Amino acid sequence: MKKASLLTLIVVFITTASFTLFQAKPWNAPADKAKAANAVKSSAASIAEGKTLWTTHCASCHGKTGLGDGTKAAQLETTPPDFTKSAFQSQTDGSLFYKTSEGRGDMPGFKKKIADQEDLWNLVNFMRSLKK
Amino acid sequence: MKKIISYPSLLNSLSYLLLAILGLMGSSELIAQDTTSTNVQVIKKKSFVKNTFDGNYIIDNQTVIIPMKGTFEFDIQHRFGTFENGWKDLGGLFANANMLLGFSYVPFNDLQIGIGATNDRMQTTGTLKYALLKQTKNNNMPLSVTLFGNAVMDTRAKNSSLPIINVQDRFSYFSQLIIARKINEKISLQVAPSFSYYNNVEAFYTEANLVQPKTNNSHLSISFAGRYKLTDGMSMIANYVQPITQHPMNNPNPNIAIGLDMKTSGHDFQIFLGNYGYVLPQTNNVFNHNDFSKSQFLIGFNISRLWNF
Repeated sequence: MKKASLLTLIVVFITTASFTLFQAKPWNAPADKAKAANAVKSSAASIAEGKTLWTTHCASCHGKTGLGDGTKAAQLETTPPDFTKSAFQSQTDGSLFYKTSEGRGDMPGFKKKIADQEDLWNLVNFMRSLKK
Repeated sequence: MKKIISYPSLLNSLSYLLLAILGLMGSSELIAQDTTSTNVQVIKKKSFVKNTFDGNYIIDNQTVIIPMKGTFEFDIQHRFGTFENGWKDLGGLFANANMLLGFSYVPFNDLQIGIGATNDRMQTTGTLKYALLKQTKNNNMPLSVTLFGNAVMDTRAKNSSLPIINVQDRFSYFSQLIIARKINEKISLQVAPSFSYYNNVEAFYTEANLVQPKTNNSHLSISFAGRYKLTDGMSMIANYVQPITQHPMNNPNPNIAIGLDMKTSGHDFQIFLGNYGYVLPQTNNVFNHNDFSKSQFLIGFNISRLWNF
């Protein structure tokens, strides 16, 4: 009986721990950053510039169309989310800008590689165009 | 064989070209000032054209591109042997190859410094690249102009077959004015006159016992290059280099090269087919004897890895 209780306790602990450890941590941009207005009005030119940046810097993980199926995606510890879904698209432009700029974990920050803020907004405008 | 050379015509031409371009830029700045001649200070950000080329190199030439401040770059350049031996050396893949390992850094905006070493003649190089002018989106400045220069030291041990007596005999120099325009999102073109100078060159005694240099110390060339974007990540690239200086003998041959450029976030990779078998610009410009009319082509590649600090 004692053994069974101990075993149950271990199983419960491992299960709980695994959920705690491996569940994706929520990633929220600071409120002021999330509220930041998009400085570049979305246009065909802006989306085209964003697409060029996407192909160079993002597509290898996030996939060409944002499905999270890039060639490197399988090697990542965090599965890239599907950018076409409303769960992603419901975020504010400011939030997408902040996350692209700062990065977290597997996702590198791009504020040094894409130093021009106008370019980061172009990238946000391209991400919006992935919505289905 | 040391020679004092003068090249006023080239310098004059380049000066006039630069003055013309600077004048053009100056006039557009003045117009801009006229339009804002009130007391209100209007701060308008100058927007430069981006990605005229995908990296520092286009096959055997530098491009106008200087990466952003804080970029550290590691370059690997490799040139296989020519195809002419066919299967004997698997089209040059098993032949002697020339390689260069180089590092560069951008400490300030528009200025890049670098070092490198190649197995060819055990040469080491120091490079300097500076963007003089950058093409703007509003076309006030229609061209990008970059100056590139290097100093190279031949570090081979002295022997009687080499033209090395003093330390200064080991040095050669290369300078190039690179002028480019991004025509549209797909097409970019570049022209780049260059000047190579060897402190010492090989010579021989004539029957009259006079010293006859095989080549001049100085050499002029002009390079034409272009990029056509096939996709956002891949471009077709081409390069043609025409020697201008006529030497007493051993005149170098032009270079025709065509290849592919593939760019990712941290890498730029180029693979191409061309005539130039060396990896330093002055060596290629002065000593290339691969002849495209005899199908003396070889495979080469450039790999650049970039980090941002």
